[in-house]
Amino acid sequence: MTARLSTIVSKHGYLLAIVAIALSTLLFLAGRDLFAKGQWALLYLLVILLVAGAAGTRPAMLASVLAFFAWNFFFLPPYHTLLVHDPKDWLSLVAFLVVGLLVGLQTGRLREREARAVAREQETAALNRFSAAVASQTSTEQMTEACLNEIVKVLGADSASLFVVDGNDLRLSGETPDRATPDPAVAERARRAMASEPAQIAQERSADAPATVAAVADGGLYAVIHSPSGAAGVLAVQARTSGAPYSPNAARLVASLANLVGAFLEREQLQAVATKAAAEREADRLKSSLLSSVSHELKTPLAALTATVSNLLESDVHWDEQSVRDELRAIVGDVARLNNSIGALLDLSRLEARAWEQRRELYELSDIVAAGIEALPAHLRQRVTVDLPETTPVVDVDFSQWARVVQNLLENAVLYAGEDSPVTIGARDWNDGVRIWVEDRGPGIALEERETVFEKFYRGHSTSGHAPSGTGLGLAITREIVRSHGGTVRVEDVVPHGARFVIALPSGRSPAAPTPAEEMS
Amino acid sequence: MTVPDRPTRILVVDDEEQIRRALKSILSTRGYVLEMAATAEEALLKAIDAPPDLVVLDLALPDRSGIEVCRELRTWMTAPILILSVRANETDKIQALDEGADDYLTKPFSAGELLARIRALLRRAAALTSPPPIVTAGELVIDIARRRVTHAGVEVPLTPTEFDILAFLARNAGLVVTQRMILERVWGPEWAEDAQTLRVHVSNLRKKIEPRPGGPRYIITEPGVGFRLAADEPPAG
Repeated sequence: MTARLSTIVSKHGYLLAIVAIALSTLLFLAGRDLFAKGQWALLYLLVILLVAGAAGTRPAMLASVLAFFAWNFFFLPPYHTLLVHDPKDWLSLVAFLVVGLLVGLQTGRLREREARAVAREQETAALNRFSAAVASQTSTEQMTEACLNEIVKVLGADSASLFVVDGNDLRLSGETPDRATPDPAVAERARRAMASEPAQIAQERSADAPATVAAVADGGLYAVIHSPSGAAGVLAVQARTSGAPYSPNAARLVASLANLVGAFLEREQLQAVATKAAAEREADRLKSSLLSSVSHELKTPLAALTATVSNLLESDVHWDEQSVRDELRAIVGDVARLNNSIGALLDLSRLEARAWEQRRELYELSDIVAAGIEALPAHLRQRVTVDLPETTPVVDVDFSQWARVVQNLLENAVLYAGEDSPVTIGARDWNDGVRIWVEDRGPGIALEERETVFEKFYRGHSTSGHAPSGTGLGLAITREIVRSHGGTVRVEDVVPHGARFVIALPSGRSPAAPTPAEEMS
Repeated sequence: MTVPDRPTRILVVDDEEQIRRALKSILSTRGYVLEMAATAEEALLKAIDAPPDLVVLDLALPDRSGIEVCRELRTWMTAPILILSVRANETDKIQALDEGADDYLTKPFSAGELLARIRALLRRAAALTSPPPIVTAGELVIDIARRRVTHAGVEVPLTPTEFDILAFLARNAGLVVTQRMILERVWGPEWAEDAQTLRVHVSNLRKKIEPRPGGPRYIITEPGVGFRLAADEPPAG
């Protein structure tokens, strides 16, 4: 607005002065005899005042000089000559010229000061709007768009673009209005602006120092954006197609915006660093909790073994044969648990690393269920009932992995549901696949635990309050296997009480199954 | 081991069934009467039901941490507490000792170690009411009452501070004492954080009593926790 008005005035101000004096002279001539000659001078001063207010100092000066001649020529006798007879009129003439010039000068100055104040106010308002916009933006894209829109609106520019440092080069981060093919010349000028920025200035620059604005030969404005780590980009405002140059105010505004953009980029950079650090901390925490779980899992049976074996070696007690047998039986149990834990850990690692080669073939589900039950300790087998349809579903899976799935789910149910609870494994054809479930009549699984039970080393509390003797890995392994076959597994409630683990396995291979590693993270 | 008027009662708190079984086998064959608990809740109830003479407490319990159990037991119980932990985590151990535990064992441990610690704890508990004993460790003899220390029959001249440190270790013979405990006892509570001072005095003390510099035989460092005096067990009877 300011820029546009000032161009109009600079182009047409003098014309305005000429037209105003000419028109008023014509008007005054029509009534030349109505007033005394001195009164016309006063009316001319009024016109000069109006010109100064509308067009500024210089046109007002022109108007004063023109009025000086017009008054002399038309209103001071002898008329129509520049000669003056009355010496008193000479004095009036000189006084008129001086007063006219002064009125023009003062009013013009006042007007220009006002215009500057308006421009500054607009600039401040633009900066305020932009700061608010920057503060509320969360992404560089949004900030860029807000910034460029503001520039185009306030400066009346045709287009503006933001370049950011990417490696050793500048990358176009945004442009308003969007163009299908960015102008390579603009990028080139932005590069030149950045290259011309002396390195030592960039180093000495404190955070609140203004960005430099290079008004390049083509009439555009190019401000280098600074961040603590050096130049971060270039804010480019292309020359107006009308050819009207940008005012110093416009350059100042662009520099201020460049500083704000620099602050935003810096904030974003810090945020990225903080986010990354937080993610790394979380990964470290997970790693260390996994490590402590593994160490607990392996050291517990090892501790029991060490204690029992060293106890047998103590000579202060006489060991009869029966006691020795009891101790040895306990040792066999500890070794079995250690073996289970190591086996489960290895299985899980193989699954996560996709190193457990799947050999998928068509099997009758009943075979797999039978193999899973067979793998249970003998005293647990009798608690399991099987609920399969007459014609048992056929599944395309890796047999040993799915026998493990069945075994893990049954073991889990037997361990956590309590000794009185029956455990049922069932399956039905369902939609385009098969559903397999394992159901118990235990206390069920709380809503908030339904996801965590599948996590590595998560061990719920069994009904007795004693920690169950499982490895804490069975369900994690189960989920890995089911996922690698393209299926899902979840827990639901059994009415009135109990838990049901439901596997949904679509028929046919699903090559688009998510990789376990991605899913786990 | 001595047979007291009534059998010594030990409360074993560990959530792992295998560990409870192993501890039971070790302790019951030595004449201790055992109570078993798998959770913090159960442990606190059983301790009130039949106050034990000693508690063996695992730090990792399913319902609450062993450190909390320690704190709660110490509000009314004076019987020694021996901590079991699979973690080689010093901060946990120090915290447990600060909360009133008397010693710790890191899993895996041998039956002999466990029994020795239990005996040392019970001895100290019994000694609290009797005059300070004469403690021996190899050729080192510490007579706490007479403030005399001899090594191979030769009197060792110690400064009062050095003697106080050694006497404190001797009163807790065979058991771990944290740096903080020594500092508070010998220098006073306001010195509790001044580990550097303690290191200097222990170093001087070792120069005077250890036969081999660099390989301490009597004052054993418990890394990150404190010190332990490797004392002989007094003869049974």
